[in-house]
Amino acid sequence: MAIQKDRVRFNVGGKIFETTATTLAIAGRDSYFAAMFDDNWDLQPNPAGEYFIDRNPDCFAILLDLLRTGELYVPPNVPERLLYREALFYGLADHVRSAKWGRFDGNRLHLLKSITGRAPGDGTAIRASSEGGCCVAHGSMVHIYDWMLEEHPPINLDYQRVNDAGWVGPVDPNGLVISTCERLGRGQGGMGLFNSTTGELRYKFSVTHENVVKSYTAGALCFNDGYNLFSSCKGRSNEYGIGVWDQNTGQQVDFFYEPPGWSLGDADKLQWLNGSNCLLVATLFPRKDNCYISLLDFRSKSMVWSWSDMWSPANSDDRRVRDAIAMEENGSICVVNEFEDLGFMDLRRDSGSVRWSSRSRIMKGKMPDEPCYPKLALHEGQLFSSMNDCISVFCGSDWVLTSRLKRSFGGSICDFSIGGDRLFALHSEENVFDVWETPPPSIV
Amino acid sequence: MNNSNQKKRNFQIEAFKHKVVVDPKYADKTWRLLEHAIDEIYNQNASGLSFEELYRCAYNMVLHKYGEKLYTGLVSTMTSHLVTMSRCIENAHGETFLDELNNKWTDHNKALQMIRDILMYMDRSYVPGSHKTPVHALGLNLWRDNVIHLTGIQTRLQNSLLQLIHKERTGHVINHGMMRNIIKMLSDLGPSVYQVDFERPFLEASGDFYRIESREFIEICDCGDYLQKAERRLNEEIDRVERYLSPRSEVKITNVVEKEMIANHMTRLVHMEDSGLVNMIVDDKYEDLKRMYKLFQRVPNGLSTIREVMTSHSRETGMQLVTDPEKLKDPVDFVQCLLNKKDKYDKIISSAFNNDKSFVNALNSSFEFFINRSARSPEFISLFVDDKLRKGLKGVGEEDVEVVLDKVMMMFRYLHEKDVFEKYYKQHLAKRLLSGKDVSDDAERSLVLKLKTECGYQFTSKLEGMFTDMKTSQDTNDGFYANHGADLGDGPSLAVQVLTTGSWPTQPIATCNLPTELTSLCDKFRSYYLGTHSGRRLSWQTNMGTADIKANFGTGQKHELTVSTYQMCVLMLFNNNDQLTYKELEQATEIPTLDLKRCLQSMACVKGKNVLKKEPMSKDVGEDDVFSVNEKFTSKFYKVRIGTVVAQKETEPEKHETRQRVEEDRKPQIEAAIVRIMKARRVLDHNNVIAEVIKQLQSRFLANPSEIKKRIESLIERDFLERDGSDRKLYQYLA
Repeated sequence: MAIQKDRVRFNVGGKIFETTATTLAIAGRDSYFAAMFDDNWDLQPNPAGEYFIDRNPDCFAILLDLLRTGELYVPPNVPERLLYREALFYGLADHVRSAKWGRFDGNRLHLLKSITGRAPGDGTAIRASSEGGCCVAHGSMVHIYDWMLEEHPPINLDYQRVNDAGWVGPVDPNGLVISTCERLGRGQGGMGLFNSTTGELRYKFSVTHENVVKSYTAGALCFNDGYNLFSSCKGRSNEYGIGVWDQNTGQQVDFFYEPPGWSLGDADKLQWLNGSNCLLVATLFPRKDNCYISLLDFRSKSMVWSWSDMWSPANSDDRRVRDAIAMEENGSICVVNEFEDLGFMDLRRDSGSVRWSSRSRIMKGKMPDEPCYPKLALHEGQLFSSMNDCISVFCGSDWVLTSRLKRSFGGSICDFSIGGDRLFALHSEENVFDVWETPPPSIV
Repeated sequence: MNNSNQKKRNFQIEAFKHKVVVDPKYADKTWRLLEHAIDEIYNQNASGLSFEELYRCAYNMVLHKYGEKLYTGLVSTMTSHLVTMSRCIENAHGETFLDELNNKWTDHNKALQMIRDILMYMDRSYVPGSHKTPVHALGLNLWRDNVIHLTGIQTRLQNSLLQLIHKERTGHVINHGMMRNIIKMLSDLGPSVYQVDFERPFLEASGDFYRIESREFIEICDCGDYLQKAERRLNEEIDRVERYLSPRSEVKITNVVEKEMIANHMTRLVHMEDSGLVNMIVDDKYEDLKRMYKLFQRVPNGLSTIREVMTSHSRETGMQLVTDPEKLKDPVDFVQCLLNKKDKYDKIISSAFNNDKSFVNALNSSFEFFINRSARSPEFISLFVDDKLRKGLKGVGEEDVEVVLDKVMMMFRYLHEKDVFEKYYKQHLAKRLLSGKDVSDDAERSLVLKLKTECGYQFTSKLEGMFTDMKTSQDTNDGFYANHGADLGDGPSLAVQVLTTGSWPTQPIATCNLPTELTSLCDKFRSYYLGTHSGRRLSWQTNMGTADIKANFGTGQKHELTVSTYQMCVLMLFNNNDQLTYKELEQATEIPTLDLKRCLQSMACVKGKNVLKKEPMSKDVGEDDVFSVNEKFTSKFYKVRIGTVVAQKETEPEKHETRQRVEEDRKPQIEAAIVRIMKARRVLDHNNVIAEVIKQLQSRFLANPSEIKKRIESLIERDFLERDGSDRKLYQYLA
């Protein structure tokens, strides 16, 4: 009967499908189809010329279409969860994930979903994983969501307050580092690497001063490409500074002690700069009365650039820096004040002054009941800043405001994170986070 | 069927509200099904199995949290099959052992692939979260532990492999396909398995094999043959790696061969009697040398061994050459031998030693060593150039001229005493220019240009001045004849070279008495020249000129004689006298005694050139000899060149004199260098001054430390420097 040699006929849960071996080959070696048609099995169809599979035919249709076209179209009557389960069965979950949303573009984001958590208090941090999932930290809990936005068992840090969390990255998609406050008298706290699917602790990162292991409070986290992990650390006997560990072994490899009259151990933000091999450390109001921003070079153990508002005129209360981010391509550091005015500093000149852009929206006096301080993020040449209940997107060399992401409920945004081609925004008032993604490319 | 439908419906209604209770026997049943399938797969009886059903079963077990059961079940089932397989392999006899192992390995791989296919979902969902080994890696680990590392198999496998390789080394043919499969199996089981179970023993056995073989070879082979054998063995091992070993082993096995066959016998090979490196160099055995270079390159200190032997041999033969009294007799041959030697080694280095820079440098340093061992080298090289430029380059193409000149420059570069060379070169160049015959202007200028690029502007400025003088003289002569040509009539014509004092190697010399025919002409020229160039002084260097004169002999023969100015003066006297005594000649011409004797000798005692007759007919010229025109003079040429003053290698006293002049010239240069250095440094200790002076001057000559010391003392006397009050070794510059 078969005219075409590579034609294949399936009977999936009673429904007949016809396709070709070429289409099935797109599924890859680690899929059901590749295993099934491996020569070893020498599989023969039933007398009707069909291969039977005892699975849901509707989902099969969607997945087959995905293999044929590379696009995912889920009819409204098929629940996503069902589709994901079927995709897992066939070994097509990665295909579904990569077809589900497009390459990240801050100006084309659509709200996918708002997910309500159940924690009582304010959220501390939200961190996107490279796979499109995220974790949400509040209090001593970290909730994990995978790319299907399925929640996994939360990690409970046993009453230690979580300060920051960070995904190890593509080399270890399940690795999650959590930094916590030290608990007096218990020798606990510090940082640990967890398996995000099972919630088990793989190892703790310890700090050693003069060959003695000390307990400490770990603050902001940051990773670099060389498998190093950085964290701001506060020890009890003034052992403040930035610790460095090897991600793979968990061993401490370096420690940058805080110089007198400067702040490193309390830092709110760490950022690794690939081009210059330096670490940006920013300690900001209101954690300290003044802001301290510095670039550390670990090879020479020196502070290669620094800035502080300690010496600025006292009248500049409205110019308090609330967040900072280094933009290596422009050779500058972008800062933001509490009215979401952007300011820029030249990295190539030492201790320059801030050049504020007078884009100021007249917000003074009508702040919401529970204001959240602005935060900044940079992603592929687009700058994002959160302010109250919305996120602004800036583009181009002059950082023009090009888009604004806003949702009608949930209150102010206390943290947001970009990763896995998605943007996650955590609200402070209600325990809700939003997932924004770029739609797949257009058909034509 | 009915039962399961029931269950399904319940499942749908309850819809994940609470945990579904599965039939407790469900897991066991399902596992038995899968276990049976695994058995059938190992029995190669899989055609009756339903892939769909098995995959679904495994999926369901994982879904219902029986992943652990599934996994441990897999481990034990697979282990039991492997134990059975290992017994078959152990029981295989003799040569069939490896075949059996190979077959079973193929079977296991195929089964493993199929098991992985049906357990794919477990691999994906259960294994990562539970820190288990994925199915494929698990299958390899189990094979390793239950088959390969079994006492009855492990050593037998190792020995069989090594035996086969030994067989192949001794010229037998073995089954490469099977070897490749088994070795690939060991690699697949992990790098450590390959290393421990095969590579390490293999390297040891190879070491033993080549140790014995190389001892045998070195006793019976000459060096060339041995190297050929070693090369063949090396290539065989590289081929072997390519055919059936892991590519990572290539460096290790070649290291073994290199160590056993080359490094261990290196010295013996190089110095092998009648066939070692020296013999190869002497006989220009490029192929053997090339092989030696390629092989020795692979072992530590290999190339330096070759280099040392080559260097010491070239120094030795070079020293023989420069100290050979026979060679010292003929400067041209001396330099030609040096050039030939250089060519020989250059050829060896380029065709056998891959143009290795370190070899080139070693060769250069040994040439530098022995060329400077002979004090006459600068003079001889200049003489060689003189010879080439005078006659050797006739009919030679421009490019070939360049080749010769480049070679000469190469020799020049080796010289330490470049200033001595310059001195001789200047003398020889002067003679060439003034003789005015057949000198290739292009070649001369080209060489000067080369010297200039080599040593800088200063070195050649005087040489260039000589060329300029020649050119201006030509113009002056033309101008003279343009002005006075009309009133000179048919008398003799005059060509004057006006030489700038200082540029030329001239010594003030008493002018001889010119024939009257010429004196008036010379005076006219003098007044013409001084008229156009006021404030100059002209003096005649009669010792350097030449003349063409026409002579009629008694036999009616007419000849044109090319002679020196002195000879011309002598000959012209015979226009008015038939016979003249030596004394009369000396009085009339006032030519210095030595020169007069030499010029008379060349005209009276040389056969074929004897235009004069001497009484008595002895070889030497005596005070009382009488000279007359040889009326019977014949020659088949119309033009006869008589005793041209040719540059010759210097006699001992002349050499001594030149040497002294050179030493004198060096003094101001050394002093200038000292002053330059001290002016810049202000204070410097003795040893550093010496070192810096030598460094500054080495492009011209090698300054002698004791001479430098003398110069320093002289400068101290003249208050250029002073010794430091506290440290006598320190000098201070006095502004």
